[in-house]
Amino acid sequence: MTFSHLNRRVHLYLGLALLPWFFMYGISSVPFAHTPFFERRDAAKGLPMWTLRSEHSVEAPIPEDPAALRGFGRTLLQQASVEASTFGVYRQTPTQVNVYVYSFWNSTQLKYFADQKRLTVEDRRFRWDQFLTGMHGRGGFEQEGLLDRSWSVIVDLVCLAIALWIASGLYMWWGLPATRRWGWLAIGAGALSFVLFTLRL
Amino acid sequence: MRLSCGIDQLMASPSLVIRRTHMYLALFLFPWMLMYALSTAAMNHRAMFASAAPGGAPQFERERQLVYDGVLPEGAELRVVSQQILASLDLDGAHNVTRRKDGAIVINRNDLLTPRRVIYSPVDRTLVVEKLPHRTNMLLERFHRRRGYATGYALDTVWAVTVDAVIVGMVFWVLSGLWMWWEMKVTRPLGALAIASGVGLFALFLSTI
Repeated sequence: MTFSHLNRRVHLYLGLALLPWFFMYGISSVPFAHTPFFERRDAAKGLPMWTLRSEHSVEAPIPEDPAALRGFGRTLLQQASVEASTFGVYRQTPTQVNVYVYSFWNSTQLKYFADQKRLTVEDRRFRWDQFLTGMHGRGGFEQEGLLDRSWSVIVDLVCLAIALWIASGLYMWWGLPATRRWGWLAIGAGALSFVLFTLRL
Repeated sequence: MRLSCGIDQLMASPSLVIRRTHMYLALFLFPWMLMYALSTAAMNHRAMFASAAPGGAPQFERERQLVYDGVLPEGAELRVVSQQILASLDLDGAHNVTRRKDGAIVINRNDLLTPRRVIYSPVDRTLVVEKLPHRTNMLLERFHRRRGYATGYALDTVWAVTVDAVIVGMVFWVLSGLWMWWEMKVTRPLGALAIASGVGLFALFLSTI
């Protein structure tokens, strides 16, 4: 097997294996790029975004140390009997802490009001655009679960694959002398516009 | 003559058209794809960048202060005022503007390389210009998140069009990639295995996390 042959095969098989992610990132960019359109469309339905699931009486001091906030969030989840592997904890005000629990299909938020000793649990209505943007934005290594971390490893793999597709694609293009003139034009036009955007935006 | 020969060749073979479009589109859009790959990696490892940066999130630093000697139109909308102020500073471009409770006008100029905050105090007519210090991962994030047609600036609209072109490009590369793979009979078994593995893994994530 020559290097050229290997290069072609890696370009192809890597593309086929990561096809669902690449396709997902492409499609899910649409609601990001056209947010006002999707928001207007949803607002026209006149449906509430969050529905109250339950309310609890809870008394727990909010920790001052930001590093302890995640543990505090886990305690709130237990108090409300909400199962969660993926969640984020945010201090909204000195007396309010929100816990967001999310999967690809569902989102739940817990709001703890320390001054009222009250904890509410609300479920978000499913929206396809949010399903896609949620998938697009998923990543990072802050969650403890193995599958969550595996997803983030694949996100890294997709980044690496894109760099590899660019390099292997350039190599394949160079191997086709008949396409060099138009290829240079495409590269030049793309790079020049990109530099212009970088400097002027 | 050579050009017409090439076009004839392309017209004769839809497969060649697909191959060439796949390639030239990629050659044109590769800076965008490289930027999206690098910025995604930076965001995926945000915690690492945050821990490596001393002092937490970057804070605005004062760049200059001056007295504004222009005349702002009476009762004008905030947007008109902000555009006039930015133009006078030679900083016109995509921005957000708000008025603080004390009456000061705060303009966030979303400059890609150097984001700035301009604060105008009507009481003493002072203009304070602040900028965010450079951090490569933050620059990449700003690039990644830049989109939308609503800024009112032509260059931003053109950028938004290129973002849409990237989206179309990504979908096209998937579909044309599948087409090209199917044409190469010898790669079908291994290719089918690669697709099945990818789809299977994706479905597993979809149903579990």
